[in-house]
Amino acid sequence: MNILNNRSLREQLAAAYVLGTLRGAARRRFETLLAGSAQLDADVEAWRGRLNPLAEFAGQQTPPEHVWQQLERQLNLSGTDRQRTKSFWREIAESLNFWRGLGLISSAVAAVLVVMLVMKPAGDAMPAPSMVAMLVNDKAQPNLMLVADLKHHRLTAKILATQTVASDQSLQLWAIPKRGSPKSLGLLAKNGSISLPLPEYATGQEIAVLAVSLEPLHGSPDPNGPSGPVLFTGAWQQI
Amino acid sequence: MDQQSQLNIWLASIANKDPQAFRSLYDATSPNLFGFLLRILIKRELAEEALQESFVSIWNNANSYRPHLSAPMTWMTTIVRNKAFDLLRRQDATVEMDNDSFDQDLLNTMESTALTPNDNLQLTQDAQALARCFTKLEGMQKQAIVLAYYHDTSHSDIASQLTLPVGTVKTWIRRGLERLRVCLTSAERA
Repeated sequence: MNILNNRSLREQLAAAYVLGTLRGAARRRFETLLAGSAQLDADVEAWRGRLNPLAEFAGQQTPPEHVWQQLERQLNLSGTDRQRTKSFWREIAESLNFWRGLGLISSAVAAVLVVMLVMKPAGDAMPAPSMVAMLVNDKAQPNLMLVADLKHHRLTAKILATQTVASDQSLQLWAIPKRGSPKSLGLLAKNGSISLPLPEYATGQEIAVLAVSLEPLHGSPDPNGPSGPVLFTGAWQQI
Repeated sequence: MDQQSQLNIWLASIANKDPQAFRSLYDATSPNLFGFLLRILIKRELAEEALQESFVSIWNNANSYRPHLSAPMTWMTTIVRNKAFDLLRRQDATVEMDNDSFDQDLLNTMESTALTPNDNLQLTQDAQALARCFTKLEGMQKQAIVLAYYHDTSHSDIASQLTLPVGTVKTWIRRGLERLRVCLTSAERA
Protein backbone atom coordinates (compact mmCIF):
# COMPACT_ATOMS: atom_id res chain seq x y z
CA MET A 1 0.00 0.00 0.00
CA ASN A 2 1.53 3.30 -0.98
CA ILE A 3 0.73 5.70 1.82
CA LEU A 4 2.37 8.70 0.23
CA ASN A 5 0.06 8.66 -2.80
CA ASN A 6 -3.07 8.11 -0.76
CA ARG A 7 -4.18 11.43 0.65
CA SER A 8 -6.88 10.16 2.99
CA LEU A 9 -4.64 7.47 4.46
CA ARG A 10 -1.88 10.03 4.88
CA GLU A 11 -4.20 12.38 6.76
CA GLN A 12 -5.47 9.53 8.89
CA LEU A 13 -2.00 8.36 9.92
CA ALA A 14 -0.65 11.88 10.45
CA ALA A 15 -3.62 12.67 12.70
CA ALA A 16 -3.21 9.48 14.75
CA TYR A 17 0.53 10.12 15.00
CA VAL A 18 0.01 13.64 16.37
CA LEU A 19 -2.82 12.60 18.69
CA GLY A 20 -0.67 9.75 19.99
CA THR A 21 -2.98 6.85 19.19
CA LEU A 22 -0.61 5.52 16.53
CA ARG A 23 1.63 3.21 18.56
CA GLY A 24 4.22 0.48 18.53
CA ALA A 25 5.48 -0.87 15.22
CA ALA A 26 2.99 1.20 13.20
CA ARG A 27 4.34 4.37 14.82
CA ARG A 28 7.93 3.40 14.09
CA ARG A 29 7.10 2.61 10.44
CA PHE A 30 5.36 5.96 10.17
CA GLU A 31 8.39 7.75 11.62
CA THR A 32 10.63 6.10 9.02
CA LEU A 33 8.34 7.33 6.24
CA LEU A 34 8.10 10.75 7.86
CA ALA A 35 11.86 11.20 7.81
CA GLY A 36 11.87 10.80 4.01
CA SER A 37 8.74 12.67 2.96
CA ALA A 38 8.33 16.43 2.94
CA GLN A 39 4.64 15.92 2.18
CA LEU A 40 4.09 13.76 5.26
CA ASP A 41 6.13 16.21 7.31
CA ALA A 42 3.81 19.03 6.21
CA ASP A 43 0.74 16.87 6.97
CA VAL A 44 2.03 16.21 10.50
CA GLU A 45 2.76 19.89 11.10
CA ALA A 46 -0.71 20.79 9.86
CA TRP A 47 -2.25 18.35 12.35
CA ARG A 48 -0.15 19.80 15.17
CA GLY A 49 -1.50 23.19 14.16
CA ARG A 50 -5.05 21.85 14.34
CA LEU A 51 -4.82 19.91 17.62
CA ASN A 52 -2.32 21.84 19.75
CA PRO A 53 -4.77 24.68 20.47
CA LEU A 54 -6.46 22.08 22.71
CA ALA A 55 -3.67 22.93 25.18
CA GLU A 56 -5.06 26.44 25.63
CA PHE A 57 -8.21 25.14 27.27
CA ALA A 58 -6.18 23.98 30.26
CA GLY A 59 -6.04 27.62 31.37
CA GLN A 60 -3.08 29.76 32.40
CA GLN A 61 -0.93 29.31 35.52
CA THR A 62 2.11 31.48 36.21
CA PRO A 63 5.08 29.24 37.05
CA PRO A 64 7.09 30.03 40.22
CA GLU A 65 10.13 32.30 39.79
CA HIS A 66 12.61 29.57 40.73
CA VAL A 67 11.91 27.75 37.43
CA TRP A 68 13.36 30.70 35.53
CA GLN A 69 16.28 31.00 37.95
CA GLN A 70 17.17 27.34 37.40
CA LEU A 71 16.95 27.82 33.62
CA GLU A 72 19.22 30.84 33.85
CA ARG A 73 21.80 28.83 35.82
CA GLN A 74 21.54 25.69 33.72
CA LEU A 75 21.93 27.52 30.41
CA ASN A 76 24.42 30.07 31.75
CA LEU A 77 22.27 32.87 30.32
CA SER A 78 23.88 35.81 32.09
CA GLY A 79 27.29 34.83 30.65
CA THR A 80 26.28 34.48 27.01
CA ASP A 81 25.39 38.09 26.30
CA ARG A 82 28.76 39.50 25.32
CA GLN A 83 29.87 36.47 23.37
CA ARG A 84 26.68 36.63 21.29
CA THR A 85 27.28 40.03 19.66
CA LYS A 86 30.69 38.84 18.56
CA SER A 87 29.48 35.74 16.77
CA PHE A 88 26.11 37.01 15.58
CA TRP A 89 27.18 37.50 11.97
CA ARG A 90 28.92 34.18 11.84
CA GLU A 91 25.78 32.53 13.11
CA ILE A 92 23.58 34.17 10.48
CA ALA A 93 25.97 33.13 7.74
CA GLU A 94 26.18 29.57 8.98
CA SER A 95 22.63 28.96 10.05
CA LEU A 96 21.41 26.11 7.88
CA ASN A 97 17.82 26.90 8.66
CA PHE A 98 18.26 30.47 7.53
CA TRP A 99 19.73 29.38 4.20
CA ARG A 100 17.01 26.85 3.54
CA GLY A 101 14.29 29.47 3.89
CA LEU A 102 16.25 32.05 1.96
CA GLY A 103 17.01 29.66 -0.89
CA LEU A 104 13.32 29.07 -1.51
CA ILE A 105 12.47 32.75 -1.51
CA SER A 106 15.46 33.81 -3.56
CA SER A 107 14.99 31.30 -6.35
CA ALA A 108 11.33 32.31 -6.74
CA VAL A 109 12.32 35.95 -6.82
CA ALA A 110 15.12 35.32 -9.29
CA ALA A 111 12.69 33.58 -11.63
CA VAL A 112 10.41 36.63 -11.55
CA LEU A 113 13.32 38.93 -12.28
CA VAL A 114 14.43 36.89 -15.29
CA VAL A 115 10.94 37.19 -16.74
CA MET A 116 10.96 40.94 -16.12
CA LEU A 117 14.28 41.32 -17.88
CA VAL A 118 13.28 39.22 -20.86
CA MET A 119 10.08 41.18 -21.31
CA LYS A 120 11.80 44.56 -21.20
CA PRO A 121 11.77 46.11 -24.71
CA ALA A 122 15.14 45.98 -26.48
CA GLY A 123 17.13 49.20 -26.74
CA ASP A 124 15.94 50.42 -23.38
CA ALA A 125 18.81 51.89 -21.39
CA MET A 126 18.84 48.96 -19.03
CA PRO A 127 22.01 47.99 -17.20
CA ALA A 128 23.38 44.58 -18.15
CA PRO A 129 22.85 42.83 -14.86
CA SER A 130 24.74 39.79 -13.88
CA MET A 131 23.61 39.34 -10.31
CA VAL A 132 20.43 40.16 -8.45
CA ALA A 133 19.37 39.89 -4.84
CA MET A 134 16.04 40.31 -3.15
CA LEU A 135 16.27 41.31 0.48
CA VAL A 136 13.36 40.36 2.69
CA ASN A 137 12.25 41.32 6.17
CA ASP A 138 11.69 38.92 9.04
CA LYS A 139 8.29 38.01 7.60
CA ALA A 140 9.88 37.07 4.26
CA GLN A 141 8.33 40.07 2.51
CA PRO A 142 10.55 41.52 -0.23
CA ASN A 143 11.72 45.04 0.67
CA LEU A 144 14.78 45.78 -1.40
CA MET A 145 15.97 44.70 -4.84
CA LEU A 146 19.67 44.85 -5.72
CA VAL A 147 21.04 44.57 -9.24
CA ALA A 148 24.82 44.30 -9.68
CA ASP A 149 26.18 45.40 -13.04
CA LEU A 150 29.55 43.66 -13.05
CA LYS A 151 30.65 45.22 -16.35
CA HIS A 152 30.23 48.84 -15.27
CA HIS A 153 30.84 48.19 -11.55
CA ARG A 154 27.53 49.74 -10.51
CA LEU A 155 25.06 48.57 -7.92
CA THR A 156 21.42 49.63 -8.24
CA ALA A 157 19.34 49.39 -5.08
CA LYS A 158 15.60 49.82 -5.31
CA ILE A 159 13.43 50.07 -2.20
CA LEU A 160 10.16 48.22 -2.92
CA ALA A 161 8.17 48.96 0.21
CA THR A 162 8.14 52.51 1.58
CA GLN A 163 10.16 52.61 4.77
CA THR A 164 9.44 54.74 7.77
CA VAL A 165 12.88 55.99 8.69
CA ALA A 166 13.32 58.97 11.04
CA SER A 167 15.04 62.06 9.61
CA ASP A 168 18.11 61.44 11.76
CA GLN A 169 18.46 57.82 10.65
CA SER A 170 19.57 56.02 7.51
CA LEU A 171 19.55 52.58 5.92
CA GLN A 172 22.96 51.02 5.39
CA LEU A 173 23.72 48.12 3.06
CA TRP A 174 26.29 45.50 4.07
CA ALA A 175 28.00 42.58 2.38
CA ILE A 176 28.72 39.94 4.99
CA PRO A 177 31.50 37.49 4.19
CA LYS A 178 31.64 33.94 5.48
CA ARG A 179 34.74 34.98 7.42
CA GLY A 180 35.71 38.38 8.73
CA SER A 181 33.65 41.46 9.46
CA PRO A 182 30.80 42.91 7.36
CA LYS A 183 31.74 45.47 4.71
CA SER A 184 29.61 48.54 4.07
CA LEU A 185 28.36 49.04 0.51
CA GLY A 186 26.89 52.46 1.28
CA LEU A 187 23.79 54.24 2.45
CA LEU A 188 20.48 53.68 0.68
CA ALA A 189 17.81 56.08 -0.45
CA LYS A 190 14.88 55.77 1.96
CA ASN A 191 12.54 55.41 -0.99
CA GLY A 192 13.03 54.85 -4.70
CA SER A 193 16.30 53.85 -6.34
CA ILE A 194 19.92 54.71 -5.84
CA SER A 195 23.00 53.79 -7.83
CA LEU A 196 26.21 53.06 -5.94
CA PRO A 197 29.72 52.07 -6.97
CA LEU A 198 30.16 48.30 -6.85
CA PRO A 199 33.43 47.23 -5.25
CA GLU A 200 34.95 43.89 -6.27
CA TYR A 201 34.42 42.34 -2.84
CA ALA A 202 30.68 43.00 -2.89
CA THR A 203 29.85 40.13 -5.22
CA GLY A 204 32.63 37.66 -4.48
CA GLN A 205 32.12 34.00 -3.66
CA GLU A 206 32.95 34.68 -0.03
CA ILE A 207 29.92 36.93 0.46
CA ALA A 208 27.44 34.86 2.41
CA VAL A 209 24.66 37.34 2.93
CA LEU A 210 23.56 40.90 2.18
CA ALA A 211 21.89 42.87 4.91
CA VAL A 212 20.38 46.30 5.54
CA SER A 213 20.60 47.82 9.00
CA LEU A 214 19.02 50.88 10.57
CA GLU A 215 21.76 53.36 11.45
CA PRO A 216 22.43 56.98 12.47
CA LEU A 217 22.16 59.53 9.65
CA HIS A 218 25.74 59.12 8.41
CA GLY A 219 25.94 55.38 8.86
CA SER A 220 27.20 53.00 11.51
CA PRO A 221 29.85 54.53 13.78
CA ASP A 222 31.48 51.08 13.74
CA PRO A 223 33.32 50.59 10.42
CA ASN A 224 33.32 46.81 10.94
CA GLY A 225 29.60 46.22 11.18
CA PRO A 226 26.10 47.50 11.87
CA SER A 227 25.34 49.27 15.13
CA GLY A 228 21.56 49.13 14.70
CA PRO A 229 19.01 46.37 14.06
CA VAL A 230 19.11 44.36 10.83
CA LEU A 231 15.93 44.96 8.85
CA PHE A 232 16.37 42.96 5.65
CA THR A 233 18.58 40.13 4.50
CA GLY A 234 19.12 38.28 1.23
CA ALA A 235 21.71 36.65 -1.00
CA TRP A 236 23.01 37.12 -4.53
CA GLN A 237 21.55 35.07 -7.36
CA GLN A 238 23.46 34.66 -10.61
CA ILE A 239 21.52 35.53 -13.76
CA MET B 1 2.67 43.58 15.73
CA ASP B 2 0.57 40.48 16.32
CA GLN B 3 1.54 37.91 18.93
CA GLN B 4 2.62 35.32 16.37
CA SER B 5 5.07 37.64 14.60
CA GLN B 6 6.49 38.68 17.95
CA LEU B 7 7.05 35.05 18.98
CA ASN B 8 8.65 34.37 15.60
CA ILE B 9 11.11 37.21 16.05
CA TRP B 10 12.01 36.05 19.56
CA LEU B 11 12.59 32.51 18.32
CA ALA B 12 14.85 33.80 15.54
CA SER B 13 16.85 35.75 18.15
CA ILE B 14 16.97 32.72 20.46
CA ALA B 15 18.45 30.73 17.58
CA ASN B 16 21.27 33.28 17.84
CA LYS B 17 21.46 32.70 21.60
CA ASP B 18 19.90 35.99 22.68
CA PRO B 19 19.06 35.62 26.41
CA GLN B 20 16.82 38.70 26.46
CA ALA B 21 14.60 37.33 23.70
CA PHE B 22 14.49 34.06 25.65
CA ARG B 23 13.30 35.83 28.79
CA SER B 24 10.62 37.65 26.77
CA LEU B 25 9.45 34.41 25.17
CA TYR B 26 9.38 32.71 28.58
CA ASP B 27 7.32 35.50 30.13
CA ALA B 28 4.86 35.53 27.24
CA THR B 29 4.31 31.79 26.89
CA SER B 30 5.11 30.06 30.19
CA PRO B 31 1.70 30.72 31.86
CA ASN B 32 -0.09 28.89 29.03
CA LEU B 33 2.46 26.09 28.86
CA PHE B 34 2.60 25.66 32.65
CA GLY B 35 -1.21 25.57 32.83
CA PHE B 36 -1.15 22.84 30.17
CA LEU B 37 1.55 20.88 32.05
CA LEU B 38 -0.32 21.06 35.35
CA ARG B 39 -3.35 19.54 33.68
CA ILE B 40 -1.30 16.66 32.31
CA LEU B 41 0.98 16.01 35.28
CA ILE B 42 -1.20 17.26 38.20
CA LYS B 43 1.77 17.45 40.61
CA ARG B 44 3.36 20.90 40.68
CA GLU B 45 6.94 19.67 41.06
CA LEU B 46 6.55 17.43 37.99
CA ALA B 47 5.02 20.27 35.98
CA GLU B 48 7.87 22.58 37.01
CA GLU B 49 10.46 19.98 36.00
CA ALA B 50 8.77 19.47 32.62
CA LEU B 51 8.55 23.23 32.05
CA GLN B 52 12.24 23.66 32.77
CA GLU B 53 13.22 20.77 30.48
CA SER B 54 10.96 22.13 27.76
CA PHE B 55 12.56 25.57 27.81
CA VAL B 56 16.04 24.05 27.78
CA SER B 57 14.93 22.25 24.63
CA ILE B 58 13.46 25.46 23.16
CA TRP B 59 16.76 27.27 23.81
CA ASN B 60 18.82 24.47 22.28
CA ASN B 61 16.58 23.78 19.28
CA ALA B 62 15.31 27.22 18.28
CA ASN B 63 17.57 27.01 15.22
CA SER B 64 15.62 24.00 13.95
CA TYR B 65 12.24 25.73 14.28
CA ARG B 66 10.67 26.00 10.80
CA PRO B 67 8.43 29.07 10.60
CA HIS B 68 7.02 28.11 7.19
CA LEU B 69 5.66 24.82 8.58
CA SER B 70 4.35 25.64 12.03
CA ALA B 71 3.30 28.54 14.24
CA PRO B 72 5.63 29.25 17.19
CA MET B 73 3.06 28.20 19.79
CA THR B 74 2.37 24.95 17.88
CA TRP B 75 6.06 24.14 17.91
CA MET B 76 6.49 24.90 21.61
CA THR B 77 3.32 23.05 22.62
CA THR B 78 4.59 19.92 20.83
CA ILE B 79 7.87 20.12 22.78
CA VAL B 80 6.02 20.62 26.08
CA ARG B 81 3.57 17.79 25.48
CA ASN B 82 6.38 15.37 24.54
CA LYS B 83 8.35 16.32 27.67
CA ALA B 84 5.29 15.80 29.85
CA PHE B 85 4.62 12.34 28.41
CA ASP B 86 8.32 11.40 28.69
CA LEU B 87 8.24 12.42 32.34
CA LEU B 88 5.06 10.43 32.94
CA ARG B 89 6.66 7.33 31.44
CA ARG B 90 9.77 7.81 33.60
CA GLN B 91 7.68 7.89 36.78
CA ASP B 92 7.37 4.55 38.49
CA ALA B 93 4.20 5.45 40.29
CA THR B 94 1.34 6.53 38.10
CA VAL B 95 0.15 10.06 38.62
CA GLU B 96 -3.05 10.30 40.58
CA MET B 97 -5.57 11.68 38.19
CA ASP B 98 -9.18 12.54 38.18
CA ASN B 99 -9.52 12.51 34.42
CA ASP B 100 -13.27 12.45 34.37
CA SER B 101 -13.91 15.74 36.12
CA PHE B 102 -10.97 17.49 34.46
CA ASP B 103 -11.91 16.40 30.96
CA GLN B 104 -15.50 17.38 31.58
CA ASP B 105 -14.33 20.85 32.73
CA LEU B 106 -12.28 21.19 29.59
CA LEU B 107 -15.11 20.15 27.31
CA ASN B 108 -17.43 22.57 29.10
CA THR B 109 -14.93 25.39 28.56
CA MET B 110 -14.75 24.53 24.87
CA GLU B 111 -18.49 24.46 24.60
CA SER B 112 -18.97 27.83 26.25
CA THR B 113 -16.19 29.25 24.06
CA ALA B 114 -18.06 28.14 20.98
CA LEU B 115 -21.28 29.69 22.26
CA THR B 116 -19.87 33.01 23.46
CA PRO B 117 -16.68 33.72 21.53
CA ASN B 118 -16.40 37.31 22.74
CA ASP B 119 -15.99 36.30 26.38
CA ASN B 120 -12.74 34.46 25.67
CA LEU B 121 -10.33 37.12 24.62
CA GLN B 122 -7.24 35.36 25.91
CA LEU B 123 -7.86 32.38 23.63
CA THR B 124 -6.25 32.47 20.20
CA GLN B 125 -8.30 32.45 17.00
CA ASP B 126 -7.13 28.88 16.39
CA ALA B 127 -8.43 27.73 19.78
CA GLN B 128 -11.76 29.44 19.17
CA ALA B 129 -12.08 27.81 15.75
CA LEU B 130 -11.26 24.43 17.29
CA ALA B 131 -13.92 24.93 19.97
CA ARG B 132 -16.50 25.74 17.27
CA CYS B 133 -15.55 22.66 15.25
CA PHE B 134 -15.66 20.47 18.38
CA THR B 135 -19.39 21.18 18.62
CA LYS B 136 -19.81 19.17 15.40
CA LEU B 137 -18.52 16.00 17.11
CA GLU B 138 -20.41 13.39 19.12
CA GLY B 139 -19.91 13.45 22.90
CA MET B 140 -17.89 10.21 22.86
CA GLN B 141 -15.66 11.50 20.07
CA LYS B 142 -14.83 14.64 22.03
CA GLN B 143 -14.03 12.63 25.16
CA ALA B 144 -11.88 10.15 23.27
CA ILE B 145 -9.85 12.89 21.55
CA VAL B 146 -9.30 14.79 24.80
CA LEU B 147 -8.25 11.58 26.60
CA ALA B 148 -5.68 10.82 23.94
CA TYR B 149 -4.41 14.38 23.63
CA TYR B 150 -4.09 15.15 27.35
CA HIS B 151 -3.35 11.77 28.87
CA ASP B 152 -1.52 9.86 26.14
CA THR B 153 -4.28 7.29 26.38
CA SER B 154 -4.16 4.32 24.00
CA HIS B 155 -7.10 3.07 21.95
CA SER B 156 -7.58 0.12 24.30
CA ASP B 157 -7.49 2.28 27.45
CA ILE B 158 -9.95 4.72 25.92
CA ALA B 159 -12.15 1.76 25.05
CA SER B 160 -12.14 0.48 28.62
CA GLN B 161 -12.76 3.97 30.07
CA LEU B 162 -15.69 4.59 27.76
CA THR B 163 -16.80 0.91 27.93
CA LEU B 164 -16.82 0.54 24.15
CA PRO B 165 -15.20 -2.05 21.86
CA VAL B 166 -11.69 -1.04 20.65
CA GLY B 167 -12.73 -1.23 17.01
CA THR B 168 -15.56 1.21 17.63
CA VAL B 169 -13.24 3.62 19.44
CA LYS B 170 -10.72 3.54 16.58
CA THR B 171 -13.40 4.26 14.00
CA TRP B 172 -14.97 7.02 16.09
CA ILE B 173 -11.71 8.81 16.66
CA ARG B 174 -10.75 8.53 13.00
CA ARG B 175 -14.09 9.95 11.87
CA GLY B 176 -13.97 12.63 14.54
CA LEU B 177 -10.53 13.80 13.42
CA GLU B 178 -11.60 13.81 9.78
CA ARG B 179 -14.64 15.91 10.67
CA LEU B 180 -12.41 18.32 12.58
CA ARG B 181 -10.07 18.63 9.61
CA VAL B 182 -12.90 19.38 7.19
CA CYS B 183 -14.44 21.89 9.59
CA LEU B 184 -11.14 23.67 10.36
CA THR B 185 -10.13 23.77 6.68
CA SER B 186 -13.42 25.37 5.65
CA ALA B 187 -13.09 27.82 8.59
CA GLU B 188 -9.67 28.86 7.22
CA ARG B 189 -11.09 29.59 3.82
CA ALA B 190 -14.08 31.51 5.15
